[in-house]
Amino acid sequence: MLFVQLLLGGVQNGALYALTAAGFALIFGATKVFHVAHGSAFTLAGYVFLYGWTHNWNSLLSSLAAVAVAVAFGVGMERLVYRPIQRHEGSFFTVFVAAFGVSIVVQNLVGVFAGRGFASIDTPLSNASEVLPELFLADVFWVAILVALVMFVALTLFLSRTNAGVALRALAQNPDLLRAYGLSSSRLSMLAFALGSALVAPAAILTAMTTGLNEAVGNHVMLLSMASTIVGGVGSLRGAALAGLLLGVAESVVLVFLETQWASAASFLVLFGFILFKPSGMFGAAVAK
Amino acid sequence: MIAYFSNLATLVAIFGILAVTLNFMVGFAGIFSVAHAVFFGLGAYAGAQIALTVAPNPFLACAVAALIAGVLSLCLALPALRVRGEYFVAASLGLQMVALTLFSEVKSLTGGIGGLTNIPRPQIFGMEVGVLPLALLALGLLLWAIHAMANGSFGRTLKAIRDAESAAEAMGKPVAVAKALAVAFACAGAGVAGALFALHMSFVNVESFTLDQSVLVMAMVIVGGTGTLFGPLVGAVLLLSLPSALSFLTFIPPTEVGSVQQIIYGLAMTLLMVFRPAGLLGDQNKGKSHA
Repeated sequence: MLFVQLLLGGVQNGALYALTAAGFALIFGATKVFHVAHGSAFTLAGYVFLYGWTHNWNSLLSSLAAVAVAVAFGVGMERLVYRPIQRHEGSFFTVFVAAFGVSIVVQNLVGVFAGRGFASIDTPLSNASEVLPELFLADVFWVAILVALVMFVALTLFLSRTNAGVALRALAQNPDLLRAYGLSSSRLSMLAFALGSALVAPAAILTAMTTGLNEAVGNHVMLLSMASTIVGGVGSLRGAALAGLLLGVAESVVLVFLETQWASAASFLVLFGFILFKPSGMFGAAVAK
Repeated sequence: MIAYFSNLATLVAIFGILAVTLNFMVGFAGIFSVAHAVFFGLGAYAGAQIALTVAPNPFLACAVAALIAGVLSLCLALPALRVRGEYFVAASLGLQMVALTLFSEVKSLTGGIGGLTNIPRPQIFGMEVGVLPLALLALGLLLWAIHAMANGSFGRTLKAIRDAESAAEAMGKPVAVAKALAVAFACAGAGVAGALFALHMSFVNVESFTLDQSVLVMAMVIVGGTGTLFGPLVGAVLLLSLPSALSFLTFIPPTEVGSVQQIIYGLAMTLLMVFRPAGLLGDQNKGKSHA
């Protein structure tokens, strides 16, 4: 039963990782920006929801505020940091360092203003009940899976059925051709950042309800999203989401054999193995060296 | 006061070694590692174990530390040969996370979270010596070696690989060997810095080898200017004197000093990248960095 319990816990975490990973993959695929500050959007969204909850806001209002802050952060990064850097040079490492700097600032600002250490909220959703002998499950498990599924269906429909979605996929494939057709790549990049960042908000809210948040949670989220994007194969949203789910499950199931401290090392070993032996990931096209 | 400054100077020299070796990888070979603290840590544990179990001879400790860090740098060289750019950064992040877990879990060698304590002071022929002259000596030797290599055939091969790998390969340059050697040299240097750090602090634990530390060293390189000889040193001096400078600003509550310091690091990194991507000492007119 321990195994099933861990497996289900892994699925729950994995569904949330899948959401953040899909956001990262969407941004990286469309704009080629390695958005290392993606985890900061997660942190900010989670803490805004937490603030709303402790101040007795309506939970819908708190959720909307969380989404708004995540989107504003993503778009702000694109406008104020990534765009100016790409305008005068565009080296990927410059972008990486700048984004890392922002995530350090966000982590410490959150630490100063919201306090350090774990903060979580208790909702009726997070109370676990015994569904089978020795198997505990909280309602939030179903919520997490449902939210992840709904978001994916919505995202897939958006990318395949609407003009803006098709244009986003075109931006990922050939930005020059896109501009030749008279579409604005800069507005589409903003859209990619807005959508990608919006995806982290539900994951952040659900994390606040389950394992809780701390000011450094963004680092873990960023590393996992990045790992999933690479393991899944760059350019494939489905791959990133699936890899996020798998990493979540792996992180949890590994506890059957090993102690807790090894959990995150396990997922990074998987990442390391993929980079060494199959850098194109599970679903990606071959990468140019 | 003298003790305070000699402590600061020793740390500057040690972090200077880290920064100039990382700069060698980043600026000359175009290998953007965010796992430099791993090799710093390997060197520190190796040096500490030598001092604790064999003899507190600093040269022996540094040599063993350099050897271990240099050999294990293969873990970093392998992905560097396979992938570039974002993928390599991701691989080095992965290495950093795995190594950190190993550092805190392999308790027989590293002492776990508690670390290794009571590391004896360094002695040469039975005479106790300070770490500061040793660190300055190591730093000077490394700077000289990097200067010599930068203008020699090895350095030129590396720069060629950095700027156009396929072209360098087509010209018959041994790309794989050159990259692996550059990584091994830089990591061995970080190992030496680690051994000196262990001898200086007489205590090491996993806290000093985290991702934050790797990023701090990276920030020193970036702030000073990648690919310049003395830029990383300037970065090391600036970033290490920041904490003491902040302690003069009395309106910051002492509990928040650490955060304020981190916020300043972060802001400095971001603003520099947006407005002055070549660093303080870098050649701004070159315009393009060489990723």
